[in-house]
Amino acid sequence: FPGLADVSISQDIPVEGEITVPVGSHSPDEDYSTLDEPVKDTIMRDLKAVGKKFVHVMYPRKSSALLRDWDLWGPLVLCVSLALMLQGGSADSKDDGGPQFAEVFVIIWFGAVVITLNSKLLGGTISFFQSLCVLGYCVLPLTVAMLVCRLVLLAGVGTVSFIIRLIVVGAMFGWSTLASTAFLADSQPPNRKALVVYPIFLFYFVISWMILTFTPQ
Amino acid sequence: AAGAAGGARLPRALRADGPPPQALVDDTEDVSLDFGSEEELALRKARIRHPLATFFHLFFRVSAIVTYLSCDWFSNSFVACFVTILLLLSFDFWSVKNVTGRLLVGLRWWNQIDEDGKSHWMFEAKRVPTIAASTEAEARIFWLGLIICPVIWTMFFFSTLFSLKLKWLALVIAGISLQTANLYGYIHCKLGGQKTISRVTSRLFGTADVPKRQSRRISEDGTEEHGKTGTR
Repeated sequence: FPGLADVSISQDIPVEGEITVPVGSHSPDEDYSTLDEPVKDTIMRDLKAVGKKFVHVMYPRKSSALLRDWDLWGPLVLCVSLALMLQGGSADSKDDGGPQFAEVFVIIWFGAVVITLNSKLLGGTISFFQSLCVLGYCVLPLTVAMLVCRLVLLAGVGTVSFIIRLIVVGAMFGWSTLASTAFLADSQPPNRKALVVYPIFLFYFVISWMILTFTPQ
Repeated sequence: AAGAAGGARLPRALRADGPPPQALVDDTEDVSLDFGSEEELALRKARIRHPLATFFHLFFRVSAIVTYLSCDWFSNSFVACFVTILLLLSFDFWSVKNVTGRLLVGLRWWNQIDEDGKSHWMFEAKRVPTIAASTEAEARIFWLGLIICPVIWTMFFFSTLFSLKLKWLALVIAGISLQTANLYGYIHCKLGGQKTISRVTSRLFGTADVPKRQSRRISEDGTEEHGKTGTR
């Protein structure tokens, strides 16, 4: 046993074991080592991806990060928060804002699907879910506008507050449209860009209209 | 002899506190491949090897259905029910797609966009069974849960449509699409639509994982603190 140095044994076995495990095709197996760790890694990776996309929307540069790894978590969160903030505002809410909540939801998702279909029919190279992802994430400025509007409405419902809200919503509407156009218009041939941009314009216009005409009871 | 003497001295110098030679034998035993044999036997005998994954696979789906059925009793607020069920459905979609499929049946599917902007759907099935691989009980639970729940949501769709409670329709449609997407993806994996591209897999997952493992290997070779082999 003195002849068997620790060094030689531990060099042999780990190196053999690890050299024979191919990293590429069996990398899913490596995740099986513990139950907790890889799940946490997966969650953190997805959360970081979502956070990066939010940052990209606020500072729209021409980057392909939003386009490459799409995910629909951000749009879901934004849609739910926007719908929550918008409910309970219109004239006839005899229910507890039920129809309005579902309405906002349907408008956002159905509108995004229609725009995506439109851009695909015009021959765009972007994939279905990528386009949904971009349109959903670019609702972020309008969600911020909704938040600001609700805060302004807490202060008062007058002409001044209306003008402030108009300016804020208008600015955020422009930001949303520019951000999504920056990502989506590139995938189109040049003579079709306007045909793709105007539905996006309409989509965010409708959302902005819903935000601007929101008056709490 | 000189080599033997040097070999005898070398491990003691490397050990931090200089234990007696008894510890040398223990270190060798740790290095051998018999590490954790009792745990492995227990793992092999267990009918459910991933209890947490099995629980969560069923938990989110069943909770969504139960909440949908019982929301009239618990709360008057449509919005709260809607948001709760939607969140449960989303968590279920994510966990079934990313975690429980991997752990319970060794299948995985995902979407990938290459540089041309073309989207590829990748389906992958694990071929090499490992010790911690899934059992039949787990696989049965997985597939039953995967198939029964979309059927239930389809029944809800028709009941909502015919009873004209249209405000729930959006939610039911969302539920059907999320659960059917997972079902379709896993059936596709299972039936052999396997476009496993190991190069692409290594690019996606290897770039994140390989440096970590390589550095672990380097530290294992260099410092000999853990004389254990890799993960299994």
